[in-house]
Amino acid sequence: MLNYIARRLINMIVLLVAISFIGFFIIQLPPGSFLDVELQRLRSLGGDVSRDQIKALELRYGINDPFLVKYWKWVERSSRGDFGTSYMTDQSVGERIWGRLSVSLGLSLFALLFTWLISIPIGVYSATHRYTIPDYVVTLIQFIGLAVPGFLLALILLIFATRYFNQQVGGINSSEFMDQPMSVAKFIDMVNHIWIAVVVLAFGATAGLTRVMRANLLDVLNMQYIQTARAKGLDEAVVIWKHAVRNAIHPLVMSLGTLLPALIVGETLVAQVLSLPTIGPMYLDALRAEDMYLAGTILVMLSGLLLIGNLLADLLLAWVDPRVRLE
Amino acid sequence: MTSQPTTPTTTATDDVVRVEDLQVNFYTQLGVVRALNGVSFNIPRGKVLGIVGESGCGKSITGMSIMQLVASVGKTEGGKILFNESAGGNPINILDYERNSPEMRKIRGNNISMIFQEPMSSLNPCYTISDQIEEAIRLHQTEDKVESRKRAIEVLTKVGMPNPDRIADSFPHELSGGMRQRAMIAMALSCTPTLLIADEPTTALDVTTEANILDLMRELQSEIGTSIMFITHNMGVVAQMCDEVAVMYLGRVVERATVDDIFYEPRHPYTIALLQSIPRLGRTKGILASIEGSVPDPYSRVTGCPFHPRCPVAIKGVCDTILPEETIVDAAKGHTVRCHLYS
Amino acid sequence: MAVDATQLPHTTATHVEDVGQIPQWQLMVRRFRKSKLSVGGMYVLIVMYVIMLFSDFLAPYEHNRLDSNYAWGPPSQIAIVDGKLSTFALKQTLDTERLQWLYVVDTDRPLPIQFFVQGYEYRFLGIFPSKLHFYGVEEGYQVNLLGADKDGKDVLSRLLKGSQISLTLGFVGVVISVIIGSIVGTASGYFGGSIDNMIQRVIELLRSFPDIPLFLSLAAALPQNAPVEIRFFMITMIIAVIGWTGLAREVRGKVMSYRNADYTAASVAAGGSHWHIITRHLIPNSLSHIIVVGTLAIPAAIGSETALSFLGLGILPPAVSWGVMVRDAQTIEAITTYPWMLLPVLVLIITVLSFYLLGDGIRDAVDPYA
Repeated sequence: MLNYIARRLINMIVLLVAISFIGFFIIQLPPGSFLDVELQRLRSLGGDVSRDQIKALELRYGINDPFLVKYWKWVERSSRGDFGTSYMTDQSVGERIWGRLSVSLGLSLFALLFTWLISIPIGVYSATHRYTIPDYVVTLIQFIGLAVPGFLLALILLIFATRYFNQQVGGINSSEFMDQPMSVAKFIDMVNHIWIAVVVLAFGATAGLTRVMRANLLDVLNMQYIQTARAKGLDEAVVIWKHAVRNAIHPLVMSLGTLLPALIVGETLVAQVLSLPTIGPMYLDALRAEDMYLAGTILVMLSGLLLIGNLLADLLLAWVDPRVRLE
Repeated sequence: MTSQPTTPTTTATDDVVRVEDLQVNFYTQLGVVRALNGVSFNIPRGKVLGIVGESGCGKSITGMSIMQLVASVGKTEGGKILFNESAGGNPINILDYERNSPEMRKIRGNNISMIFQEPMSSLNPCYTISDQIEEAIRLHQTEDKVESRKRAIEVLTKVGMPNPDRIADSFPHELSGGMRQRAMIAMALSCTPTLLIADEPTTALDVTTEANILDLMRELQSEIGTSIMFITHNMGVVAQMCDEVAVMYLGRVVERATVDDIFYEPRHPYTIALLQSIPRLGRTKGILASIEGSVPDPYSRVTGCPFHPRCPVAIKGVCDTILPEETIVDAAKGHTVRCHLYS
Repeated sequence: MAVDATQLPHTTATHVEDVGQIPQWQLMVRRFRKSKLSVGGMYVLIVMYVIMLFSDFLAPYEHNRLDSNYAWGPPSQIAIVDGKLSTFALKQTLDTERLQWLYVVDTDRPLPIQFFVQGYEYRFLGIFPSKLHFYGVEEGYQVNLLGADKDGKDVLSRLLKGSQISLTLGFVGVVISVIIGSIVGTASGYFGGSIDNMIQRVIELLRSFPDIPLFLSLAAALPQNAPVEIRFFMITMIIAVIGWTGLAREVRGKVMSYRNADYTAASVAAGGSHWHIITRHLIPNSLSHIIVVGTLAIPAAIGSETALSFLGLGILPPAVSWGVMVRDAQTIEAITTYPWMLLPVLVLIITVLSFYLLGDGIRDAVDPYA
């Protein structure tokens, strides 16, 4: 087992190196540079930028370095834990990302929990009551969940919340709590703010996962060992929950690895609508502003998260399914 | 080996199970499949009854019906399944119970248990062998964990598992097909059932393993006295295992006799054809006989005798219009046949 | 007997010769028809694509035609005046308090709707130049059956024009990714060994990127001022490049299992060439699976285009797609005051839903046990 984990970790590092290289390459693809964007901004403000100033800035940001040199500088600094300074804000990239990433992570974990809590029982019900009216209703809701874009749901809930709950929404905290340390009141305020985001994020994922759960369970219910379990005289509920669900949950566990990063980034649109301080909009801004160090770091961090998520999912899978343990 | 004189089955009280005119239909998306069209037979106490027939003739469905484990699209639309726990007792109609009722669940695994065809998939991959055996024991026999574990090891030893302690803590995927089937048998016998339904238990195994498993079942049967309903399509296995045989075709029992009569005095053209299609050692010349045509589409319905489109001796105007009734050809040995040739 | 024999599909013994011989595809069609929702989805999509083909003809105005007299104009009222189907002129006033345009229907000024009128020039099916349009009103006025946006652009015309991009982009992207995925997957699964190993490493690498950020970075790298056709093509390629890996993996799995099947072994034993085995045994067997995966990937691809355009990284104005239109509907103001701005979202939902239903029905029909 330890051997397996070690091998996976080594594989992960190799992949991360490859990812950082390709990712950085893609990110610096757009013509022009952050400096062009910045100069344009300065000029539009009426400022005049002299040639020497431009030279100095170019030198400082290494704008004219060849790709490999830029990449090496970035990697070398990152490996020291110094993720560089964002062009945009002059803030440390690491600091900015962590702040946002923690909000994203928290939000996504909430949504994930929500998703699992809903989709497993509903998927089970739907599969065991196939071709009944509730099954059709669930199926229809699932499809609508897949088809309705998250941002629209966010908008609708936003309207709903402002109209009927008279709630101040958007962001994760009301202005009065903004700079206060965490307290019960602040937490409640936060819950009041993020429930829309959690519901919206969970809704789409739940729709998909319920569908998967239903299909898997239907597969498993056709298995011989389910008949064996019934033939023992077990109650149908025990047959389903002890013998079937445990086997059907398999692909759900596997999807865990991909679902978490997907949720983290999937909120980009939702976060845009709800003005949440998460990683998605930040990544988008970085791309738009051609802030390649920031964007590159986020991309690699998300990839790392995906790899770690996959590893955790595999370990969890090994725990759930003894057949996987041999590898 | 199976030629012990079989008592005629006229004394109905001696039957563990008596199936009367059982009808099961499957309502599928493509139409109705008449899986069982009035199946009647009996399983004498302490005996092994073989149910023989081609794929799709309804032999597995019959076994599942006794356990009430037919998939929910299959509806039992008539007939009775009378189960008699002990000689001289009052038979109960299993079909009176709901599928998932406590009464039915008490019968399953405790009084009647079942072994399936695929040893590879009939054990849950997520639990150890002893987990799965103990589950049945705790359900029906004792709640005690130590005791149930002890009994699980006992029954594993009984089915000839080498190293039962270690096997008990193995997962199914760590065992070979033959071992898994032994484990299944152990599970099925863990509560010493009155009736064991074995649905092609050796079909998926290689010949050597098959012989071992059959020997084991025969041995355990005489030791525990469990009656067995042995479902198979293999006439060789029938000869080795069974005391009596019911031949099924398209959801009906077409011939019912002792194992000797089936082999030496078969009456129904279908039984004869089945026997002729068995390859024999030493007979190298000539073409192996096969049955003309194939089993009709399950959605269609054949009028008259269901076998007449493939029957070499079908009587025009009779066999294709009138369904033959069950006819007694030898009352003393309980030999019956459904064929116009004998009515 | 609970069921009358006459209700059964084949009831007579004379059918014995052809029983059990219903071709596989016919069974699939039968099973597909059973699923009413999927059949419904299929019809909706057929209608949508037919409308798309005639979109320029059906659209009364060029999608970027501005008319400040109709800014945030509501959907036109239709009535029969003097026996003619007509709409009415609008009187525009400014609500200075809330800074909103107010419109009053001028019932004294009916505008008869004219059919088969001359309008802006377009190429029918991209080939035949034409100026013919299905309907319109007299010059100087507008009929906005589904309202107008903030610049007075006709929402219906934009929806129709937008369908040309939105209904094709995702589709084409998926077709390309299906082609790449099938070829690579088949090669990987069939030849195995080092080829397989190499391909799997590449796929693993590509899949280690979270796809949405990758998507965004690639889209951000597209030239901003390229003509819409180039942008269309590039976004299609991005969808294809990101999408093929999943399919390739699935096809590989299928091909591997079919490759180990007895009939493949039989074909090898009979001297079948690689090409013969691949085209005769492996591809036909995997085809149904490929179609299912492809159908279910289309709505996701359509969603991707919308998301990109919504974020301003996809199709850019002046070109129009549903995603571009959805971008205009992202404020609470738009939804509450000008609800017709949500129509593109609705159309999008219906399209995506129909594709999911269709794909689901095909999957059930092709593989009833999955």
